[in-house]
Amino acid sequence: MAPATSPTGSDHTGSRRRPFWTMERRDALAGYLFIAPQLIGITIFVLIPLCLVFWFSLHEWNVLAARFTYTGAANYKALLSDPGLGEVFGATAIFSLGLVVLNMSLALLLAVLLSQKLTGITVFRTLFFSPVVVSLVAWTIVWSFLLQKNGGLNAILQVFGLEGSNWLRDPTTAMISVIVVQVFKNVGLNMILFLAALQGVPKELYEAARVDGVSPFKQFRRITVPLISPTILLTSIITIVGSLQVFAQIAVLTQGGPGMSTTVLVYYLYQQAFQFHRFGYGSTLSIVLFVIVAVLTFVQWQMRKRIVFYER
Amino acid sequence: MNGELSPRMKVVVYGLMSVLLIPFVFPTWWMVTSSIKPISDIFAFPPEIVPSRLDLSTYAKVFELQPFAQQYWNSAYIAAVVTVGTMLFSSMAGYAFARIRFPFANTLFMIVLLGLLIPSEVTIVPLFRIFLSWGMVNTHWPLILVPIFGAPSVFATFVMRQYFIALPVELEEAARVDGLGRFKIFRTIALPLARPALGAVGIFTFLHSWNLYLEPIVFLSSPEKFTLPQALTQFTDAYGGAMWNIQLAAATMTAIPVLIVFIVAQKQFIEGLAHTGLKG
Amino acid sequence: MTIARLRTTVAIAALALPLAAGMARAEDKIDLRMTIWSANDAHLAMFKDIADGYAKLHPNVSVTFDSLPFDNYTTTLTTQIAGGNPPDLAWILEGTAADFVTSGALAPLNEAFTNTEGYDLDDVSEQATALWTQDGELYAYPFSTSPFAVFVNSDLVAAAGAKSPAELIKSGEWTWENAVDVSAKVAKAGHAGLIVRDFNYQIWQNLATIWRGWGATAWSADGKTCAFTEPAMVDAMSFIHKAIFEQKAMPGPGENVDFFAGDAAMTITQISRASLLPKGDGAFKWDLVPLPKGPAGDYAVVGQAGIGVFQNSAHPDAAIDFLAYMSNPENSKKLAQFFPPARKSLLNTETLSSTNPRLSPEQIENVVIKGIANGKVLPGHTNFAQIQQTVRAQLDSLWRPDADVAAVMQSVCDRVGPML
Repeated sequence: MAPATSPTGSDHTGSRRRPFWTMERRDALAGYLFIAPQLIGITIFVLIPLCLVFWFSLHEWNVLAARFTYTGAANYKALLSDPGLGEVFGATAIFSLGLVVLNMSLALLLAVLLSQKLTGITVFRTLFFSPVVVSLVAWTIVWSFLLQKNGGLNAILQVFGLEGSNWLRDPTTAMISVIVVQVFKNVGLNMILFLAALQGVPKELYEAARVDGVSPFKQFRRITVPLISPTILLTSIITIVGSLQVFAQIAVLTQGGPGMSTTVLVYYLYQQAFQFHRFGYGSTLSIVLFVIVAVLTFVQWQMRKRIVFYER
Repeated sequence: MNGELSPRMKVVVYGLMSVLLIPFVFPTWWMVTSSIKPISDIFAFPPEIVPSRLDLSTYAKVFELQPFAQQYWNSAYIAAVVTVGTMLFSSMAGYAFARIRFPFANTLFMIVLLGLLIPSEVTIVPLFRIFLSWGMVNTHWPLILVPIFGAPSVFATFVMRQYFIALPVELEEAARVDGLGRFKIFRTIALPLARPALGAVGIFTFLHSWNLYLEPIVFLSSPEKFTLPQALTQFTDAYGGAMWNIQLAAATMTAIPVLIVFIVAQKQFIEGLAHTGLKG
Repeated sequence: MTIARLRTTVAIAALALPLAAGMARAEDKIDLRMTIWSANDAHLAMFKDIADGYAKLHPNVSVTFDSLPFDNYTTTLTTQIAGGNPPDLAWILEGTAADFVTSGALAPLNEAFTNTEGYDLDDVSEQATALWTQDGELYAYPFSTSPFAVFVNSDLVAAAGAKSPAELIKSGEWTWENAVDVSAKVAKAGHAGLIVRDFNYQIWQNLATIWRGWGATAWSADGKTCAFTEPAMVDAMSFIHKAIFEQKAMPGPGENVDFFAGDAAMTITQISRASLLPKGDGAFKWDLVPLPKGPAGDYAVVGQAGIGVFQNSAHPDAAIDFLAYMSNPENSKKLAQFFPPARKSLLNTETLSSTNPRLSPEQIENVVIKGIANGKVLPGHTNFAQIQQTVRAQLDSLWRPDADVAAVMQSVCDRVGPML
């Protein structure tokens, strides 16, 4: 921390002594200056609020009654006896898992298709990516129309003589619908990242494999997947973390129903804090969510040694 | 799998892609066409693919019911400021974390990364209190400061760091030998090389700000300060019933300019994104 | 370094709270803010008119009306309060009335109202203020007391060859059985039958407009015991379930039909929605009738909204004074154009006809005046938002063709019982 205490600098302290402002020290100062805006921002807008949330979680805070009383671990004990929490964790797990699996496999499929040398491929690429730039609220509102009992999807199915489900109302299809709507919205991002990764795979490897008579599927499994595994890892981390923060979609499409089947953790904590005015308990759920995200990210990061075959 | 495809395979690939395209394109199409249908036709079953009757009055109503032009400007300038600010500060931080050695660099990076893990729902109440104490509630400051300096900027820093790590270091070393200072190296050598990553960060940041929903609802209360996603949900009749066709017209106007910019600049868009260094 | 930063963190954190609490100080110039859920131009113009009138008497006071989205109105309001930025006045929905009234967040109004010249608090009907009163003290002024009634698309009913509700009323046969029969006939003819507006299989409390005909209630009068398992409620819900899934007289879950677009036989909603009836192009012949008779006889249901003043407002006295002005007899008459009044002096055909030009005198007499006079408010409870959600989640399994009504009602009480 020395640089900060010697603002005058020491460039002229004599030629014999090693100057105080060595390359290392100057570099260190530059480093701190470079990261200072972000670090200060994170402190004010992330760390302090997080501490406050923890502080709130130790209180019973009824906003309307302006009651803010210290209750110690009572909110954390309440987690254990909350009858809804089991369903909420279940829904969260299904949602995140379903989203990641579907998103990653569709992104990979699209990337493989789009990496073919075909005329007009950029048009397809652009169209597949386009939902990413459409406003999330608008996208979700439109899908809520299409998925109604008498909406667009069922009309299309009717053409093929099929009777569609009541997508957002049936407990078995509501979750699938929410996942799928979210995947179509955002799969374009992962698709592009995979596309870039695929372009980085040396062509010679495929040539060699073809000469050895390896089937395309095996080529994909033995060459493509291992070589793009770093991208798979990173996108999966981003996708999982993102999936745990999905809110507007649930709010517009299902409001957590039917029953509690699509009430994921973020939505539940929003309900508790903002709709039921239980800010203390809501803060407790926030801390739980934070811990889950942190642990998941840590585990995935640790796993990279086992699943990433190739890191440059 | 990367060579030329046989004609039969080509047909298969085109066919597969066209079918897969439907759920990506149809909703946008439906949004645009429904916004010019009379409201009774929106709920028609089976839905019309091409509208049979036109009702363009919805577009005028959008501007009558809300200060929509003002709201448009709000969203646009906030997103622009946030994008420029984020590109500046995140590339600086990303560069430092990638290139400069200083004590506690890793610890500090981990602290910054915490921002990635915290959903905005978690910290919204304390943030509201902080901004209230600064007298900034019902101003655009929270929507500008938090994205530039807070959690949303962390992803940008991460992307920039990954990109700088992947850049060859030789050019910068040579400049250092010539006695160039860090800031100069950053500005004249590293930053220009990082253009693709900056492009990607710019796109992400712009979209994030353009789509922000929860924060405006919490921080803003007067219609002339609203941003677009918030304004979209305001097109209701006197009793809270949604005016669907007007809402869809507003949604269309929100989406179309971004879509057009995207289509025009899609090459830079997508290639910038592809070069984010997320390859590991 | 770490410890130093930690110390600053704590210091700033400690600063943030008191600062938030001690923000506003009284000045000469007073700005009042009222949160409302209407963004309707006509409403806003009327409010502005009232505020301008007040500013003439008190030039230092200005009032702004903050339109928040209806969907998350209470949520946004609560967030503002949590952040230490409560409005001075706010509209409050009947469902959350109990929360606001019992919490102590609102300022008492009796004294100010009785001291206001020409206010005549006794003119405000007691039935209307019951929900907003605790221990004899009024905490919010019920500015809208809107009865639920049935709007009928006479064209569709006639086309389906069914007896019109008006005829049924004449012959004393306007019962739920017959109302559903008529709706089923229209539905069979290719349109939708009966719509409970805004219910959407979420806002179940709107079904009270039907189940009260069976004498059913959501919970006991003291609010302590769940009553969904009572025979009256099970019967009423079975009737509704049958009407939806067997007789197809009501649109099923996820089917979006708009009565006011001319697509349905009838709808249960508040009479203030008359303004949504289409004119010109999409117009149809319509009628407005009271709720049908249930097995338990005649009944009426009203929806209410109140205006309260927050204790934590920077200028509670000015806010109360403005509320007294806004709800005085003269301004109540203005409000009555859009919001059915709770003042007995305004509850006559003459006043209401001038403010509701689309309704006939008979409709006003039979539906509006009788409805306001006899109507009971929709269910509400302290902690209503959570109870609402919990019941909603359990009722979701009722909205399937093969549901076991009694079992679902049991599950509702199992979950919601501990919260009452």
